[in-house]
Amino acid sequence: MALADKTPHEVALALPAPLRKPAEIVIDHIRHGTFQRSMSVLVMGTSLVSGLEVGYEHYRGSYSNPVMYTPVVLSGVLTIAGATSFMSRKMAKTFLRYIAWTTLIDGIIGFGFHIRGIARKPGGWRMPIVNVVMGPPLFAPLLFGTSAYLGVIASYLQREEDHGPRAQRLEAEAATGPADFRKEIATGQFQKHFCVVTAAATVCCGLEVWYSHYKDNFKYRVQWSPILVAPVLLAAAIGGFKSKRIADTLLPIASAAAIVNGLVGSYYHVRGILNRPGGRKKPVYNVLYGPPIFAPMLFAACGLFGMMAYFMRREKR
Amino acid sequence: MSEENETPLLGAFGEPSKPLHYLGPMQQIQPPRRRFKETETVDYVIVGVGSAGGVLLQRLARAGFSVIGFDAGPFWDTERDWVSDEAGSHKLYWNDLRITGGQHPLALGENNSGRGVGGGSVHWAAFTPRFHPSDFEVYTRDGVGADWPLDYQDIEPYYELLEQEIPVAGPAYYPWGKPHGYPYAPHPMGGVGDVLIKGCTRLGIGVSAGGPVAILSASRGNRPHCIYRGFCIQACKVGAKASTLITHVPDALEHGAEIRDNSMVSRVSMRPDGRADGVFYFDQQGKEHFQRARAVIVSGYAIETPRLLLNSACPGHEHGLANSSGLLGKFLMAQAGNVILGRFDDLIRLYKAPPAHALTEEFYETDPKRDFARGFAIQTVGPLPIAFARQMMTAKGLWGWGMRRTMMDYNHYASIALLGEILPWEDNTVTLADGHEGRPEARDRFGLPVASVTFNLHDNDKKMIEFGKNKVMEVMWAAGATEVVQESRYAHLVGGARMSRTPDSGVVDKFGRSWDVPNLFVMDGSVMPTQGSANPGLTIQALAARTADYLISHGDAIFTSSRRDLEEPPCRKTLSPPGTFTAGVPHLR
Repeated sequence: MALADKTPHEVALALPAPLRKPAEIVIDHIRHGTFQRSMSVLVMGTSLVSGLEVGYEHYRGSYSNPVMYTPVVLSGVLTIAGATSFMSRKMAKTFLRYIAWTTLIDGIIGFGFHIRGIARKPGGWRMPIVNVVMGPPLFAPLLFGTSAYLGVIASYLQREEDHGPRAQRLEAEAATGPADFRKEIATGQFQKHFCVVTAAATVCCGLEVWYSHYKDNFKYRVQWSPILVAPVLLAAAIGGFKSKRIADTLLPIASAAAIVNGLVGSYYHVRGILNRPGGRKKPVYNVLYGPPIFAPMLFAACGLFGMMAYFMRREKR
Repeated sequence: MSEENETPLLGAFGEPSKPLHYLGPMQQIQPPRRRFKETETVDYVIVGVGSAGGVLLQRLARAGFSVIGFDAGPFWDTERDWVSDEAGSHKLYWNDLRITGGQHPLALGENNSGRGVGGGSVHWAAFTPRFHPSDFEVYTRDGVGADWPLDYQDIEPYYELLEQEIPVAGPAYYPWGKPHGYPYAPHPMGGVGDVLIKGCTRLGIGVSAGGPVAILSASRGNRPHCIYRGFCIQACKVGAKASTLITHVPDALEHGAEIRDNSMVSRVSMRPDGRADGVFYFDQQGKEHFQRARAVIVSGYAIETPRLLLNSACPGHEHGLANSSGLLGKFLMAQAGNVILGRFDDLIRLYKAPPAHALTEEFYETDPKRDFARGFAIQTVGPLPIAFARQMMTAKGLWGWGMRRTMMDYNHYASIALLGEILPWEDNTVTLADGHEGRPEARDRFGLPVASVTFNLHDNDKKMIEFGKNKVMEVMWAAGATEVVQESRYAHLVGGARMSRTPDSGVVDKFGRSWDVPNLFVMDGSVMPTQGSANPGLTIQALAARTADYLISHGDAIFTSSRRDLEEPPCRKTLSPPGTFTAGVPHLR
């Protein structure tokens, strides 16, 4: 544990020489909340992926309720918002912020619809296990909110070019006023906040993985791996909220494990799709009904949250 | 375990509060009541509320006509009357006496007749491919069969409309015929579909996964989505599979239509001026009644429609009603439905998933390289154990211990069927078993002569079946089967009152209006001049919706005038059941 008990800067020093400098710059920007452009690019990428995911999942549900189009449309708009925020500070503060909040709320509304969907199945919530497993994926709408949440964060960050005196001025200002989550985000001091989000995402994603793999009868032993990693990441995130030490030790290790697990999972999911009857000759159909191609990356996203929390500075309060 | 622990979460399940009529577990309606008196003259009576009758009833009622749908069978309550049991579903078929004959006699009952409201759509497997444009001009293209008096363009808007109303699940891009897509997402594959896909992709044959099939892949309104339990052709208690009983009839009742169930129409009554004025029918007790109507639509399907019209012979129509051409009851068609069964080392579990869930129409069209005209489709089927045992008995001559051994392997078999186009031939007929002119005599419990069906295969049909059968076997081997056997069989039944361009070449015009009696219509599978290699259900419903538009366009003129206007009516989108246009995926139109 002592070996791992390093601050991000110390870790960067351990890297090979050519990587040391860029790593330090990245960490420095993250720790001071000056990475709005990079975050906007991340929002763009993740919302494109989640748009595709929800697009084909809802396609499988035949868009039987027109409200099912909303996350697909919002993902598209959020992708555009991410792109514009990369280019313009103003867009990040306005367009991205509104769209990200709207998409986040849409995810919560969707959660309500999915709860209702389970209630409407024969037996409803009286047969919770069967209907959660067979009904609309309960936590998917909340996980869909991942990219929207990143968008919300991005909209409150400072831009890369603000790094330096301007960021320092803002931080000095923030230190005097009352505690405000927006200022904390802008100055990169929201480790505890991020730990909570990591924990929440891990709970949702872990349960989702659990019943999805259960639906497949845990046919492969490797399907247990995210279920084993998830509680560790959850414990690390909760611990990270309480203790800086855990945020510096267990959290990065567990997060790295989740990211690696997500990448390995992606490989297996792609392999699963190719192994279906017809394989690559029926690509659309097999992506539709094969293992969810982007789902392991959602688990990796939980790891990414944890990793960012590790890089972050803690709130002063 | 204590009793307390057995109570489900959130309390015990409740009892239904008031006696309602169930159409699927979620759809409840007030039981249909009698609305019209016999002395009252209604606008339309429809004889037979099946695929066509249900759609017509709904359209005409919505347009404000007074209309009664007669059905010889019951108005099903899906929760009380239906069972998910192979042996218990026999009452869904027309089991009354019929005589079958010819060199290749058809088995009548299960897969080619219906009884009760919803008709055959209650127990169809629900494959709903469209006909191809070439189907409407078979004679022009191949010099065999017949041309339709309408083109693909005339029926295309109705295909689209009905696919939305039903709604049909299938791929968003469907390559065969005129390429199009479907409004609901395709279904996941069962074991049999996997076999078909494996076999076809290995041979480089295009294959459609997950449809087109009239089964909900996602819920719609008060109909839940499919739960893949495999009892489609035993009538779907889930309400996911479409039948006119649950898609169109509730809306018809809502708009004032009456269903007179358990009423067997015996003959169409004629006035001296050559117009029909109603129908005679027997109630359940065998008492005869007369219902007056301004126009009569016969939708009794390929056997009962000709039988009713032949039984309605009267002065001026001595050889049967609307039979001046002499073609009534002729050109009956069934499709070749050979079932090919393959044994696999892996488990297939063919009872899981709807029997209908994947198909290929790669061999649908005439291919000059083959020595026969027209073609066939290859489709998944999923026989339950009784049907499977029967197929195995014919295919392998199994009996006793051998049968028992094979039945133990039920879960290892996959079954794929041929659906081949048998051409219309004049010697394939429905006649009356009335004892006249050398015909046999047999009567039903009302004393009405029953139908006598004659069926022969011709050269082209035999070649098609041979080729198709071998092709399906090839697919089965390619998928990895270790043993392949086949049973000869027929499916569907159309023709018998064909539509035509001229009065001397058919029984009805292109809207189903009989050439002889201006207010008598025939609208069901029997009007089809050819049948393609597509399951006829969707086309029957589309034709019915088109005829309804025609009738509505002409309003009261149908009841009084004999003028025959053959203009295509506008396709009305305002008469669809509620909820038709609110859901669905983007697809090629």
